[in-house]
Amino acid sequence: MTASIIEVENLVKRFGDRTVLNGMSMKIPEGKITVIMGGSGGGKSTLLRHLVGLLKPNEGKILIDGTDIASANDEDMNTTRRKFGMLFQSAALFNSLSVGENVAVPLREHTSLSEEIIRIIVKVKLELVGLTGFENFMPYEISGGMKKRVGLARAIALDPKIVFYDEPGAGLDPITASMIDQLILDLSTKLRITSVVVTHEMKSAFRIADQIIVLHKGKVLEIGTAKDIQNSKNSYVQQFINGEHEGAIPFKQTSEAYLKGLLET
Amino acid sequence: MKQFLGKVGQTAGFLFAGVSRLGALFRDVAGSVLSAFVKPRNIRANALFEQMVFTGVDSIPIIMLVGAAVGMVLALQAAYQLKEFGAVLYTGSLVSVSVTRELGPLVAGIVISGRIGARMAAELGTMKSQEEVDALVTMGLDPVRYLVVPRCLSLMIMLPCLTVITILMAMAGGFAVGVWGVGINPDLYIAKSLDPLIIKDIVTGLTKSGIFAAVIGLVSCHQGLSVEGGADAVGKATTQAVVTSIVMIIVTDCIATAIFFYAFP
Repeated sequence: MTASIIEVENLVKRFGDRTVLNGMSMKIPEGKITVIMGGSGGGKSTLLRHLVGLLKPNEGKILIDGTDIASANDEDMNTTRRKFGMLFQSAALFNSLSVGENVAVPLREHTSLSEEIIRIIVKVKLELVGLTGFENFMPYEISGGMKKRVGLARAIALDPKIVFYDEPGAGLDPITASMIDQLILDLSTKLRITSVVVTHEMKSAFRIADQIIVLHKGKVLEIGTAKDIQNSKNSYVQQFINGEHEGAIPFKQTSEAYLKGLLET
Repeated sequence: MKQFLGKVGQTAGFLFAGVSRLGALFRDVAGSVLSAFVKPRNIRANALFEQMVFTGVDSIPIIMLVGAAVGMVLALQAAYQLKEFGAVLYTGSLVSVSVTRELGPLVAGIVISGRIGARMAAELGTMKSQEEVDALVTMGLDPVRYLVVPRCLSLMIMLPCLTVITILMAMAGGFAVGVWGVGINPDLYIAKSLDPLIIKDIVTGLTKSGIFAAVIGLVSCHQGLSVEGGADAVGKATTQAVVTSIVMIIVTDCIATAIFFYAFP
């Protein structure tokens, strides 16, 4: 077992009366691909926003490479942020900047490299994601899949130890989605980057994951390898991975039951 | 009655919360600007110049048009009234003093809040709704330093300049009406225009326009960055930015004029 680079201990997050994360704990091993999955409203996105420091928890610890970002001050937080990159669901490219300039943003702001060297790094990063020669395109001139790849190039611009992916395959055709999966695998094996992927696409999860964490109602339901999860005895996990509409989670719910379910968590 | 009082209390609560959030944003912007004296890199020079072109240079034609029109209207109305007292000669004085002290800064402020404030709120609002602001944060870049400071600073530099143009154009418009419309001797008109002007008029006018610039910048950026959700939230923020800016410009104008009137008689 490799050492863990991210440790989450007893994470609790409430929005008003609603508890979205309810005492979540997990360890994410260094250099491996961890897939976080779970149904809508299970707390995936909220967990991810905590891991990258966009939200602060009500209780609990989030250790990223030894720093507890739940209680870190701004300076420590920014030092920690340079250790990871994030690929957003919508890629979140700056629409007013060209592809090359987007990738150059972290380099320009966080390093004092000369423009010449920044240009070379941008070229290398774009080549890594298979977009050689696209520097001068604007984000609105390229396809959704390309945008994600540019987002990835930007996320790895500063050679981070960890990359977070928010639904990398969402909204892409199966071929492009599998290309993104291949990129995640490549980055993990070639650059030894720790990847944390939030997704609910089973095929891609089983293809890339070294470890899978299933979330349900703000708690960790199951942790294991792809095989462990496929052979899980848990009825919810089975319903989820097989994509059945009837099972532990009923298809039809009264609004009262739905609200009750929300309030229970 | 109870309901009405509740509503009044709620509105007052929102108002105070809004003002205190604006105050917090002002503190962040001021902190960022002051820190630039130690670390000049904290102000992104390229972004500042780019914004100065958008807010300043590109607004010159519309500012000239509005300025000239205001001067003409003012001269016409003044001449019409002053004729009663046989004091048509003083049209120039009335136009020059009123535009320098009051109408120049006010009109320039209102035009710019519609032209630039709306643009800033829509731009930042779209960036927020498309996760671009979150992307900045995860890259360890402060949205206030990266987005708000160049915008506010460019407004504070360019609005006083635009105000000078408004004042000059209004005087020119007044001159055209006074000389060719009302038939005042041109030399006399110019002499009567410049005679009553003192340095204090110009200083107070430009100080006010600097304050208006800060109000427009802070209100618009704040509205943009508070967008939660999609297109309708961006639309609402844009409207809100313009309406709030204009109301706040008029209120601060009232306060500033009273201060100048009593403190520096």
